[in-house]
Amino acid sequence: MTALRSALLAAVAATLPLVLAGQGDVAARLDGRVPPEVVRAVQGIAAATAARGLPVEPLIDKAIEGGAKHVPADRVIAAVRALAARLDEARLALRQGGIETPGADVVEGGAYALSAGLSRRQTSDLVRVSRPPYDPALTLRVAATLAALGVPPQQTLDLMESMISAGRAPGDLLDLPSGVQAGVDQGATPAQAANGLARGVAQAPGQNPNFVPPGQAKPHPHKP
Amino acid sequence: MSAQYHPLVKRLLDGELSLAELPAELRAEGEQALRLIRGVDRAPVTLPATLDARVMATVRRHAASPVRRAWRRLTAPRDVELRLRVRPWTVWAGALAAAAAVVLLVSRAPAPSSPPRDAGLPARVASHDSVYVRFVLYAPGAQRVTVAGTFNQWDQNAAPLAPAGTNGVWTTTLAVPVGQHQYAFIVDGERWVADPRAPAVDDGFGRRNSVVAVIAQGARTL
Repeated sequence: MTALRSALLAAVAATLPLVLAGQGDVAARLDGRVPPEVVRAVQGIAAATAARGLPVEPLIDKAIEGGAKHVPADRVIAAVRALAARLDEARLALRQGGIETPGADVVEGGAYALSAGLSRRQTSDLVRVSRPPYDPALTLRVAATLAALGVPPQQTLDLMESMISAGRAPGDLLDLPSGVQAGVDQGATPAQAANGLARGVAQAPGQNPNFVPPGQAKPHPHKP
Repeated sequence: MSAQYHPLVKRLLDGELSLAELPAELRAEGEQALRLIRGVDRAPVTLPATLDARVMATVRRHAASPVRRAWRRLTAPRDVELRLRVRPWTVWAGALAAAAAVVLLVSRAPAPSSPPRDAGLPARVASHDSVYVRFVLYAPGAQRVTVAGTFNQWDQNAAPLAPAGTNGVWTTTLAVPVGQHQYAFIVDGERWVADPRAPAVDDGFGRRNSVVAVIAQGARTL
């Protein structure tokens, strides 16, 4: 028991300087941009967020944004707190999708997807199918962008999954938002534009030479 | 002359950009600059008729100097032939000794350390990768339009847009670091406006922010 207590004290002693340094950094970034009460509150929220292994940069950005937009202090603090909760929810979705220790860019991508309207389950489902060569940080951002353009979240997920299961190259996913935008420019709704893209996926199978449809064995090379 | 050109046009002249990569409103300026450069390149060079005679007179004067001739004899490079007779085993021994020295040096060299990273800087700022992104807003009647976002710490004075003609279109091109960014336009210093051509999300304060994701892969945006 004494050994455990000593280990805990040592861990606290080791991490305390880092936490304090982080708080000082947050204060330096926010100083003069937001009221002092916002600085204090964001320091606390950021320290707790960092202790859970989540990125704090979006929280600082949100506070600075609130200050630039002259938003009242209490609303800035509420928005930062809500964003911290969304980062937590994103990490939970990523874990449910099979990524136990996600990097900051994946967490931010997940938070963006949730902000854009995808549910936690939809986010998890997308992460689950985003196996190499697909990068989950990228698929989450593409899905979030589609949803932010107005494509319904479930339709967004279906379109992404159909692209991946058709073996489309990862780079092809990047063209989806501009495809939807082009359809909207021609008078379609975002949902109609996404439907058009989905039909295109169904009619043109993937070009990825390494892709093997689910349930099928990789063909053996022919031996004479 | 070149001081009057837009920085992107100067990059075109330096060969860093192609004409197609210039924003549409700069292409005319770019084409004009290229025409001027081509014109300069093709201008014939006329040398004065007396130049040949003056050059040859100077050469003869230098060649005739005895001091210069003596100096040249002392310093001019000459071919020298050296013959070495070695036994094959000495060559192999030398090669092995050199290889052993290289192995020793490599094994004793310190491991390369990762570049120092200032903990106070976020990764997206530390990254040197960035992509030029053009921001356009139609704001007829506006006196001033700027763009602020996570890429410039929401500084509403950092990135002013310039009017593109008199039709109410404002535009600017910024180098945006790789990553995901939220932004908005500020019209006349007080009205925050989302980009109507970009995806948007709730900003948490009752308004909408536009979103641009700058992707390292292919240096493009979503």
